[in-house]
Amino acid sequence: MIPRIAISGLAKAFGPKRVLAGVDLAVMPGESLVIIGGSGTGKSVLLKCILGLVRADSGSILIDGAEVQGLKGAALARHQAGIGMLFQGGALFDSLPVWRNVSFALSGSAAARRAAAIENLARVGLGEDVADLKPAALSGGMQKRVALARAIAARPPIIFFDEPTTGLDPIMADVINRLIRSLVSDLRITALTITHDMASVRRVADKVAMLHGGQIIWQDAVDAIDHSGNAYVDQFIHGRAEGPIAMPVAKP
Amino acid sequence: MILVDGLVALGAVVIGLLATLGRLVRFAGAALGRVVAPPWYPGQILQQMLVIGWFSLPVVGLTALFTGSALAQQIFIGGSRFNAASTVPAVTVIGVVRELGPVLGGLMVAGRVASAMAAELGTMRVTEQIDALVTLRTDPLRWLVVPRLVAAVLVMPILVLVSNALGVMGGWLLATQRLGFNSAQYLATTARYLEADDVVSSLVKAAVFGFFIALMGCYHGYHSGGGAAGVGRATTNAVVSSFILILLSNLIITVIVFGS
Repeated sequence: MIPRIAISGLAKAFGPKRVLAGVDLAVMPGESLVIIGGSGTGKSVLLKCILGLVRADSGSILIDGAEVQGLKGAALARHQAGIGMLFQGGALFDSLPVWRNVSFALSGSAAARRAAAIENLARVGLGEDVADLKPAALSGGMQKRVALARAIAARPPIIFFDEPTTGLDPIMADVINRLIRSLVSDLRITALTITHDMASVRRVADKVAMLHGGQIIWQDAVDAIDHSGNAYVDQFIHGRAEGPIAMPVAKP
Repeated sequence: MILVDGLVALGAVVIGLLATLGRLVRFAGAALGRVVAPPWYPGQILQQMLVIGWFSLPVVGLTALFTGSALAQQIFIGGSRFNAASTVPAVTVIGVVRELGPVLGGLMVAGRVASAMAAELGTMRVTEQIDALVTLRTDPLRWLVVPRLVAAVLVMPILVLVSNALGVMGGWLLATQRLGFNSAQYLATTARYLEADDVVSSLVKAAVFGFFIALMGCYHGYHSGGGAAGVGRATTNAVVSSFILILLSNLIITVIVFGS
């Protein structure tokens, strides 16, 4: 079977700072892969390279076997239309009411788009009463759910989740994780999630990959994460300050 | 050695300026290319026309009214020194329509609108809303930049027409209420000295200023980064650069139209 997403040798540097240094990764159709890694290890840059928001310096990105590196204009727009994204901060449009945010990528009459928005809001556990509110009137967890409804509204075959539980309390984080898991299963979406929230990893992932030093240093099924035999993974999942991952902390 | 270091620094500054100019020209070209090819977003254009035009009317109108009055007073004082106080209506209308109406109107709109555009787009950039547009099958330049450019170019001439009318009215009010001018005579003289070229140049200036205001607001906002401080810098740069471009383009248009 052809992987839905196949990345090989992907490299990206910003000036002298090498962020990605030869990333190799494959995500099969309908699979939920979670990429873990410390802050600043290039997880978001990787997602943006796949989306075409950031141009990689070298390497290959295949979506359903077709190269997307170097796409421009209409071809790039078509590629981007096939990927939904839940942004870390939600990235809801402040000036538009919730229903217009959710139905933003949909076409048709206003009534049809509103009906579709309400249906997608229901999928993430929100009622019609929030449809006419502005995003600023919602709590952080509700904004995240609206953003999730927006990401799935056009039923893209691939969805990226960028730190989906950042800034949420543990209960709301679990609500979001369960929603992501059920949406991925119900809609048969290929999901790529980046996070450093281990509860999120265990709830959402089929497979886990760890990004460190610009490369994928370990990947396996989520069940294997607790006995990976990889010192970097062990240090990360247990949140230990001591270990092979050195944090640049200045001593007082 | 000091000379070489100085030349190196100067070269770096020149290269930096040229690079910025190149990015700006590419941005303007990309936006203008989308102005002439669909899809368009008429709802966005109308909303921006309201924001730029309607909500700028009070500040532009008051500026024109007060400045027209002050101009009439100064012309009266200056003209009285060589028995030319009767030139108040003619010089006021020419001064207002050719220069003060479009330039002050442009500067006021730039202060109000370019800053707001830069702040809004800059905030959208740092909160990833512009990236979100891309993932929602929407070209950010078409959705955000083109409506602002089109709206600014369309409404600025209307704003300047109003500004000109209120500026002339300010002069008339002061001249008739304070300086002893006859109302009918003042208006007749104003109409006699106002030429079509004056009005046309005023409207052309307004459209050009509108383009620069929207371009600077959008360019600096669209490319802002670095969090709240970056948005602040973008806002300042948008206002300063649109002020400079308004004053420079005003000089160029004035010399081209009235210089010969």
